[in-house]
Amino acid sequence: MRYSLENARILAERAVHATHADAAEAVVTSESSALTRFANNRIHQNVAESDTRLSIRAVLGTRTGVASTNRHDDEAITRCAAAAVEAARHAPEDPDFGGLPEAAPITAVSRVSATTAGYDADRRAEAAAAIIGQSSARGFVAAGTIATSDYAVAVANTGGVSAVMEADDLRATVLSTGLQGGSGWASFLTSDAASFSPSALGGRAATTAERSERPAALDPGVYTVVLAPEAVSDLLDFLGYLGFGAKSFAEGGSFLTEAIGTSLVDERISIYDDALSPGTIGLLFDFEGQPKQRTPLIAGGVAVGPVTDSYYARKLGLPNTGHALPAPNPYGPMPLNLELAAGDSTEAEMIASVDRGIYVTRFHYVNVEDPMKIVLTGMTRDGTFLIENGALTTPVRNLRFTQDVLDALSHVGAIGSQRALVGPGEGGATLATALLLERWEFTGQTG
Amino acid sequence: MRDAIARALEAATSAGASYADARVVESMHERLSVRTGRVEGIESGESLGIGIRVIAAGAWGFAATADMSAHGVRAAAAEAVALARAAAATAHHAPIVLSPVDAYRDTWTGPCEIDPFTIATEDKLAILLAADEAMRAEAAVRVSSAALDFLHVRKLFGSSEGSLIEQAYTESQAGIVAYAIGDGEMLPRSYPNSHGGQAVQGGWEAILALDLTGNAPRVGEQAAALLSAAPCPAETTTVIIDGSQIALQVHESIGHPTELDRVLGDEAAFAGTSFLGLNDIDTFRYGSEHVTVTADATVPGSLGSFGYDDEGVPAQRDFLVVGGVLTSFQSSRESAPAMGRASNGCMRADGWNRQPLVRMTTVSLEPGTWDFEDLIANTESGIYLETNNSWSIDDKRLNFQFACEIGWEIRNGALGRMIKNPNYTGITPAFWGSCDAVCSPDHWQVWGIPNCGKGEPMQVAHVAHGAAPARFRDVRVGVGR
Repeated sequence: MRYSLENARILAERAVHATHADAAEAVVTSESSALTRFANNRIHQNVAESDTRLSIRAVLGTRTGVASTNRHDDEAITRCAAAAVEAARHAPEDPDFGGLPEAAPITAVSRVSATTAGYDADRRAEAAAAIIGQSSARGFVAAGTIATSDYAVAVANTGGVSAVMEADDLRATVLSTGLQGGSGWASFLTSDAASFSPSALGGRAATTAERSERPAALDPGVYTVVLAPEAVSDLLDFLGYLGFGAKSFAEGGSFLTEAIGTSLVDERISIYDDALSPGTIGLLFDFEGQPKQRTPLIAGGVAVGPVTDSYYARKLGLPNTGHALPAPNPYGPMPLNLELAAGDSTEAEMIASVDRGIYVTRFHYVNVEDPMKIVLTGMTRDGTFLIENGALTTPVRNLRFTQDVLDALSHVGAIGSQRALVGPGEGGATLATALLLERWEFTGQTG
Repeated sequence: MRDAIARALEAATSAGASYADARVVESMHERLSVRTGRVEGIESGESLGIGIRVIAAGAWGFAATADMSAHGVRAAAAEAVALARAAAATAHHAPIVLSPVDAYRDTWTGPCEIDPFTIATEDKLAILLAADEAMRAEAAVRVSSAALDFLHVRKLFGSSEGSLIEQAYTESQAGIVAYAIGDGEMLPRSYPNSHGGQAVQGGWEAILALDLTGNAPRVGEQAAALLSAAPCPAETTTVIIDGSQIALQVHESIGHPTELDRVLGDEAAFAGTSFLGLNDIDTFRYGSEHVTVTADATVPGSLGSFGYDDEGVPAQRDFLVVGGVLTSFQSSRESAPAMGRASNGCMRADGWNRQPLVRMTTVSLEPGTWDFEDLIANTESGIYLETNNSWSIDDKRLNFQFACEIGWEIRNGALGRMIKNPNYTGITPAFWGSCDAVCSPDHWQVWGIPNCGKGEPMQVAHVAHGAAPARFRDVRVGVGR
């Protein structure tokens, strides 16, 4: 069982008081999670875990050190606090460190659901069976997961921060594999399991698998593409990882660094980070206990600025947007709730507007070839189709792309009106729409 | 630890488990990082917990808890059995059958000459700060980083079949990176490898042997030089690939597709499957005659080594590919019977809170006979590539694309001008089929890869690959350049 809100708060405050330093901060993350995994139309893993981690940041002047433990007796907390202080004692002074942030009001949004909390092993098994049934009825094979997470987070510091919240979420995925090379994918992420329909999810994947049977070869080249929200979420996530954080911005390694106030992509593209957005999941405050705020990153195609934490806000002279990750970390502040502003086209309208192009259900194994231009490479997977004369026609074998994403977002044909929540859950997710992009370069195909 | 193991096994079997094993894992880590002259982090941590795996009603259940009290352990064992029953009740399938393994009562300890946790923080920081500063002697190097990571793991495994195995090991890792930034480009140069550097089972002696400070000036100079280097031509040519990149090439295009759980479809929805099938053993031509690959959990000092895997199977050395022909898969007690064999000991878990999966040990391209200088001299035209910068491969492990940090033209048997942002792509069997030379044991070394992701919930495995530079013909380079 995870800690209650009150016990998480008490543990964090105990740790702060146990740390003999100029200032101290404690972060408690307590979680119970479970995951039912199926493949070959059977459940092959059924796992559950519970753990509570405590991390202490000690401050001596402008020197900091961090230690963590998952033991919570007095001796362990004392040992952890002493290790953090000892680390700080060895650290050089850091003139850019302006101290731990003070308390700030945090918007209250409920992120717990009784339905999700009640989604136990029997419910997950029933859901798996319903998903599998949609594939097995067609003679197909299903694989995927149904995972639930229930967690509490508490942040306390000597400056008066005492932030605490609890949240849960459910994530389900399904890959349906056909008999003649077809495959289909569907995923679902929510904080409220009442909206989860396993059979509908399984049906969506199986239908795509059925439709993608007997995929044909297609010459690589530059095509118009309609990317489903799951594929678009990959692009947003890499923009966030590589460019929207204040650390890469400050170092000169972000595409934003020299672009603030200039037109970067199509004027219809607006990207925000917003942990308070209706329908999303995740934390309402960051790992310094600062409130998350709706933060524009690209507005009307124009570069606005990065997300920050207390350190980079001070260093850059920007507001603290509340995007600290647990200290220390190699990434700096990161957007965990990216969203693409919705457009006015349905996916069907996008497809209908394309004479010849490619529809992509999702990408696989995307990675970075140029971190400043955001050149990515990856594969299509589980439902790639040729679009001809405004309709999906021939299923296509998986294609490799190598593409400058900023260039692709400068040639937008349409933006979807419906947004889907995509991501691994636990701490954040991406709200993505479908996108019609006029130029996308496929550079290879699996034979 | 022993009490917790006994308690878990007793509770699980009492609740109806036909098989149970339990692992108590206690770990501690330390990380120090410096970036562009600033000490970015000094942190340490510890973790303790127990993972209990059972078969009940013919299905698997696994529960893990950090609550090591008698009540906590018994509750986790009962939950594991309940999870197994839930899995069995609604998903009809053949009961799990495990390949046999003897009961072992043994201990194993990995190599470590100088305990890195006893080294003063000042000494560790001194190395990092010196290397970091030395890289920035070049003005074009606007960002630099240097980091040390240490891990100590002690774990106890017990099973209802009578095994009780205690193991302990220490891992040490170090790496430096210089980033040259200019004209809209950010070009990294790393030492001794990218993505965190080199990682081994061993202690402080392994860090000293890397000589980070001594190598830092060269790393900075090469990063700066990359800004004005020639772009990678888009062509099909001969490539010679350095050992560290061969290690990742082996990892992605041989290591993963020869994991038997992928072959059997258990990873289909996440990591993917494999282009290989059970019937391919002893018939499928994976590569040329120069390609022989082993999976070896007995390599001293390798991240992929242990005494026993995480289901109590002794460490082994097995041949996956011999003279270009597929001969085996990496397996577990559950999956091995599918190929009519006993487990070759590849089940590993990422800590106490994860169920073991089939994972790589030390999967190595066995060395050939070539001297590196002779290999360059023997190559009329092509590109020599060093150090991974990006990797991507499809869900069946066929279509790959790798980018490297740096390359050099090869013209008339000699290295020529520097190339920036080189990349190459291929299809796995055709690529390995085009291998016509592998360098000798003098150029072969084991590269640690501590970031191999697989499974749901995600697990990060520490694996390794022995590799030497090798040559491949007719490879497409400069993709999208």
